[in-house]
Amino acid sequence: MKGRYEPMTSAEHTADLDPRRDYPLATRRPELLRTPTGKRLDDITMDAVLAGEVTPADLRIAPETLRLQAQIADAVGRPQLGQNFRRAAELTAVPDEKVLAIYNALRPRASTREELHAIAEELERDYSAGLCAAMVREAADVYERRGILAS
Amino acid sequence: MHMTNPAGGLPSRSKRTEVLEKRPVNLDGFVEEWPEVGMVAMDSPYDPEPGVRVENGVIVEMDGRRRADFDFLDQFIADHAIDVAVTERAMAIPAAEIAHMLVDPRVPREEVLAVSRGLTPAKLLEVVKTMNVVEMMMALQKMRARRTPANQAHSTSAQDNPIQVAAEAAEAALRGFRELETTLGVVRYAPLVAIALQVGAQAGKPGVLTQCALEEATELELGMRGITAYAETISVYGTEPVFCDGDDTPWSKAFLASAYASRGIKMRFTSGTGSEVQMGYAESRSMLYLEIRCILVTKGAGVQGLQNGSISCIGVPGAVPAGIRAVLAENLIASTVDLECASGNDQSFSHSDLRRAARLLPQLLPGTDFICSGYSAVPNYDNMFAGSNLDAEDYDDWNVIQRDLQVDGALRHVPEAEILAARNRAARALQAVFAHLGLPPITEEEIDAATYAHGSNELPLRDVLEDLKGAQRVMDGGVTGLDIVKALHAGGFEDIAESLLGVLKQRVSGDLLHTSAILTPELTTLSAINDANDYAGPGTGYRPSGDRWEEMKALRHVVSARDPEREVG
Repeated sequence: MKGRYEPMTSAEHTADLDPRRDYPLATRRPELLRTPTGKRLDDITMDAVLAGEVTPADLRIAPETLRLQAQIADAVGRPQLGQNFRRAAELTAVPDEKVLAIYNALRPRASTREELHAIAEELERDYSAGLCAAMVREAADVYERRGILAS
Repeated sequence: MHMTNPAGGLPSRSKRTEVLEKRPVNLDGFVEEWPEVGMVAMDSPYDPEPGVRVENGVIVEMDGRRRADFDFLDQFIADHAIDVAVTERAMAIPAAEIAHMLVDPRVPREEVLAVSRGLTPAKLLEVVKTMNVVEMMMALQKMRARRTPANQAHSTSAQDNPIQVAAEAAEAALRGFRELETTLGVVRYAPLVAIALQVGAQAGKPGVLTQCALEEATELELGMRGITAYAETISVYGTEPVFCDGDDTPWSKAFLASAYASRGIKMRFTSGTGSEVQMGYAESRSMLYLEIRCILVTKGAGVQGLQNGSISCIGVPGAVPAGIRAVLAENLIASTVDLECASGNDQSFSHSDLRRAARLLPQLLPGTDFICSGYSAVPNYDNMFAGSNLDAEDYDDWNVIQRDLQVDGALRHVPEAEILAARNRAARALQAVFAHLGLPPITEEEIDAATYAHGSNELPLRDVLEDLKGAQRVMDGGVTGLDIVKALHAGGFEDIAESLLGVLKQRVSGDLLHTSAILTPELTTLSAINDANDYAGPGTGYRPSGDRWEEMKALRHVVSARDPEREVG
C-alpha cells in the first residue's frame, strides 16, 4: 500500500511510540488518549454516566488516537493495518449516514464514474479525507476497466 | 433380507457391509473431483503457475497474468497486499524451502513473515501443496498471531428467544469463550437478541465480546450504537463474479473496514473454500487457490483478521479428496500472512463423531486465535447458523480431550451450581433491561425456564408480535449501549453495568483494533502485540500450566485416587 497512499506522518501526533512499552495505550499511555469530545478515559465513569455527563459521542475514537494506533501497527510490521487506521482517522469526521451512503455507492454497478469522483471530491473538500478519496478514485478506475460502473 | 447373487446363488452383501452401511459416516456426501468446474480442493491442473514481475515499483505481471488482464482481485492483491519491495526476492525462494521455514521451529515467525509478505496467491498455494497435515499443524503452532489460544461460540435460539440467548451467553462466557456471536431466524428480532447476548455475556464473565451476524449495513449500525462489540460476517470471495453477486468489491469491503475502525470497533472478514464453486463461478480454479485470493484481499484491505476454514460451505471441501487438508491450509495461510485467524470448526459437516473430531484436531492441537469461529453453545436444533461441528452436548468431551492431551482448547468445566446461578442472573438482568427500556416484560416463569433449559423447546413462547414492535422501538428510539448500561445499573446489576461500560470504553483507545485482540476478564487487551506468539520449538511458546492446567484437570466426574468412591471433580 506504501507508495500509493503515502502515510500522513506530518499530520500525526509526534509521540514516539514503542509497541512493547506503550501498548495497550489504555493502560500504558492513557495520558495520550482523548475522546472526540475532549474527555480523558478516566472521565468515563459510572457516576458520570448516571449523571448524564457521558453521551454516545464520548464513546468514539478520536482521529489522533487512530493515528497513534497506526504508528503502532507500522512499528510491528503491519503497514496495511496502519493505512486502514489512517483512512479510519479521516472517516471519524464523516457522519454515520454518509459513511453508509459511500459504502453503498462503492458496491458493484451502483455508481457512475462521475458519481464516484464527486464522492472523492466531497471527501477531500468537506472532510480532508485524502486517503479515502484516493481509494474511491482508484475504485472508479478499476470499476471502469472491469465494466462494473452503473450504466 | 438378502439379495442373492444370480451367478452363484450367494448373498451379494455381507453382514459386515450391512453394519458399515448403517454407520453415520455413510450419510455424509462424497463426490469425485471435477477440476473444470472448480470441484477440487487444492490440486488442480488449471491453477496458475506462480510468478511476479515488477516495473517501476508496480507489479505488472502476477501468476501468469499481465496487469492489463488483471481482474479486480488480482489488482487489489498486487497493489495492496503484496510488498513490492520484496516480492521478486521472496518469489525466487523455492516453495519447498519456504515450507521448511514454516515447519522448522528454529526459524522465527518474523523471518517467515519477511518472506510471506512478498508471495503471490499461486506461490502460497505451491508452498502448502508440499506440506502434509502434520507439517501444517507444526507451522500453525508457530504462525498463529496470538500466543494464548481462544475460542468463539454461537449463542442463538430457534425461537429467537432473547431470554434463552442471555442465559446461553452467560454459560458460554463462564465456560471460557471470549467471543460470542448470534444471528436470527426473524431478522427484525436482531436488536433484542443482540442486547440479550451483550447482557448475558457480561453477566457470565466480564470482557466477552459480542456480535450479531446481519446484512453489512445493519451490522455496522448495531456496532456504531454499541449494541454489539465487534463484527465478523464481512464476506469476501475469490472470483470477480461471485464477489459482485455478493454485491461488493474489494474496495467497498476495504471502505467498510475503515468505517468500523473509524468508530473504534473490532472487525474481521469472513471467507472460505467452496463458496465460489457453490455459487457457480469458480473459473476452473481449485477451492484453495480462490481462498488464498480472499486471504490476500483481507490483508490488502488492512483488516486485522479473517474467519476462514470453509465456514458455511464446509460441505463442499468436505465432500472432495483432501478437502479437510485444504481447510487446514486456509487457516495456516491466513496465519502465515500475519492475520488473526478464527479457524472454522463452525458449520456442521458430518454425521460421524469420528469425522467431526478428525476435522477439529488440526486446529485444536496447534492452537489458533479462535479454535472454533462458532462452537454452538446451544443444542444444534437451536443453532441458527445451520448447526456447528461442536455443540453444547460436546462440552464434556471437549474438556476431556483437553485434559487427555494437555492441549488448551480455551474451555473449562464449570460446576452446575455456578452455571445455574449465572444463567439465572443473566435472565434477571435482561428482565431489568427490558423493563427499563419499556420492552415486553420477561416473566418469572421465563427466567426459571431459561435457567434450567437445554434448548428453546423448554422455554415458553414469547409474544413475537409484541417483541418485534419493541425491537422496532429500539431501532427508532436510538437506543445505544449506554442506555443498556444505565438500565442494568438501575436494575441493581451494577457489576454487569460496569463490565459493559468497560467494553464500550475500549473503542476510545482503539487497542482492540490490533491483530488478534481479545479482552481479558480484567478488561485488558490481549493481542498479537502484547501477547505475541513466541513458539520456537520444544519448551517454548504457550503451554497450559499452573492455574490453567489445574483448571483443565477438573471434569464432571473425577474420582479420588485414594478413595475411588469419592468424586473430586
